[in-house]
Amino acid sequence: MKPPIPILIMCIVAIAATACLHPSGTEDEMIECNLTLVGDCTRVLSYDEIRAIPSCEGRGGFFTTVGIVNGPFECRGVSLEELCDLVGGINATDTVWIRASDGYLMVFNRDQVRGDFITYNPVTMREVPHIEPEVMLMYEQDGGLLSMDTGGPLRVAIVSRGELLTEGHYWVQWVDTIEIMK
Amino acid sequence: MKATPIVVLVLIIAVIVAAIFLPDTTEKTELLVVHAGSLIIPFAEMEKQFESQNPGVDVRMEGHGSIQAIRQVTDIHRQVDVLVVADENLIPDMMYPAYADWHVRFATNRMVLAYTNRSRYAGVINGSNWHEILMRPEVTFGFSNPMLDACGYRTLMVAQLAESYYGNQTIFRNLIACNFNPTFSVVRDGDTATVVVPEILDPRAKKVVIRGGSVQLLALLELGEIDYIFEYRSVSEQHGLRFVKLPPEIDLSTPDNEAMYENVGVDLGFRRFTSVGTRRTGKPIFYAITIPKDAPHPKLAMEFMEFVTSEEGRRVLQAMGQPTVPPIADNPDKMPAGLRGADE
Repeated sequence: MKPPIPILIMCIVAIAATACLHPSGTEDEMIECNLTLVGDCTRVLSYDEIRAIPSCEGRGGFFTTVGIVNGPFECRGVSLEELCDLVGGINATDTVWIRASDGYLMVFNRDQVRGDFITYNPVTMREVPHIEPEVMLMYEQDGGLLSMDTGGPLRVAIVSRGELLTEGHYWVQWVDTIEIMK
Repeated sequence: MKATPIVVLVLIIAVIVAAIFLPDTTEKTELLVVHAGSLIIPFAEMEKQFESQNPGVDVRMEGHGSIQAIRQVTDIHRQVDVLVVADENLIPDMMYPAYADWHVRFATNRMVLAYTNRSRYAGVINGSNWHEILMRPEVTFGFSNPMLDACGYRTLMVAQLAESYYGNQTIFRNLIACNFNPTFSVVRDGDTATVVVPEILDPRAKKVVIRGGSVQLLALLELGEIDYIFEYRSVSEQHGLRFVKLPPEIDLSTPDNEAMYENVGVDLGFRRFTSVGTRRTGKPIFYAITIPKDAPHPKLAMEFMEFVTSEEGRRVLQAMGQPTVPPIADNPDKMPAGLRGADE
């Protein structure tokens, strides 16, 4: 009987390929999550329906309570204001309540939904003006789908055309409900 | 010999598998300590000291607001070895009995008004006239967002307590409320005053600056972009700032004044976390430490806690500007046996 060297080599290659080619497995998995939108009416969007909405992109990052900087990242997602428009839109005095599956809640006014945040230079941490800011519900970060560890599958991101940071409290992770309060 | 390549290949595979799966005996044990953001500087020193005494341990420090720190255990279900918060009342409120059933008080703090030599009226401000100076039109000041930071809602309590202490019922309105739209309201019930925070905090002029936390406010103060910030004394000292020492009747530092502090409360504009309510009541500031029930390294966590609460640990904290108190345990009978001395 000939030694099974080719079989062993194939096994090694298969193990290596399994370990290296799909480290997270996120790409191949079906992502099951729903987003509930509440405004003049209520709509529940599946992950695929959210992905089917024309996307927006930009760069943005955040810093934590103790000043640890995360990003800036290349972010892709759906405009928060467009999502609000699907259930009647927001008026000047409305607030938007964004809830997460872990029980976290953050409230935004209309100006904030349109990107009116204080922005910071990621190197100096000084406050700087922003360029074309936008708030999105992000599903892709740096070209990959968001994992649970990075706040996915859906997370708030504040982006612009520059390399800017915003306060981390607003980057709500694991978003499951967006409600417009009149 | 034909069998040689197979043996070599099997050995190579065995080495690769061993490298991947077998534990590295030289690896240090990681101890995850999640602590309140205001402890970042003293706890960096605690990390250094503890690691030098325990070379096999890698202490990983992670700072958050106190509520977020607790949520790492209760809501996000991370395995945390030691938890340290800036408000001891949060542990029973949010963790008892499922995630912890005891804690040890070990440090304290007080609210001050921090400033620099460049601040307007730096030469004349003091514990009697600070509220008059801050109301001057050209003076700017900041505090952290009470929705996001304990130091923020404690600032509102200080301003409210100042009304009784200085006998001036307009301090809160003229110093804070009038600068916001929508504004704060104050609900009075007998001797108790509750500040109701609007959902969105939007200062209407540049006189008052509000930011998410100390990091941003300290930067603005140090750059000379604002004159004063409400801050913890420990943080002010650690950053080499000057500060106005406020009277103990209003600075939330003294257990003797607890009944007075309890006359003020803050009702936050929305429930940011389902795990904790919106009401905050004035109390003396006490830091507390606990070990969550599912801590991955309970024995090592106990050793770290013993170090923090020991005389040596308290000396380290004091040297870093963090005032301490003799350790007092809540529910001492539920503590691990070796730690029960903390309540003595």
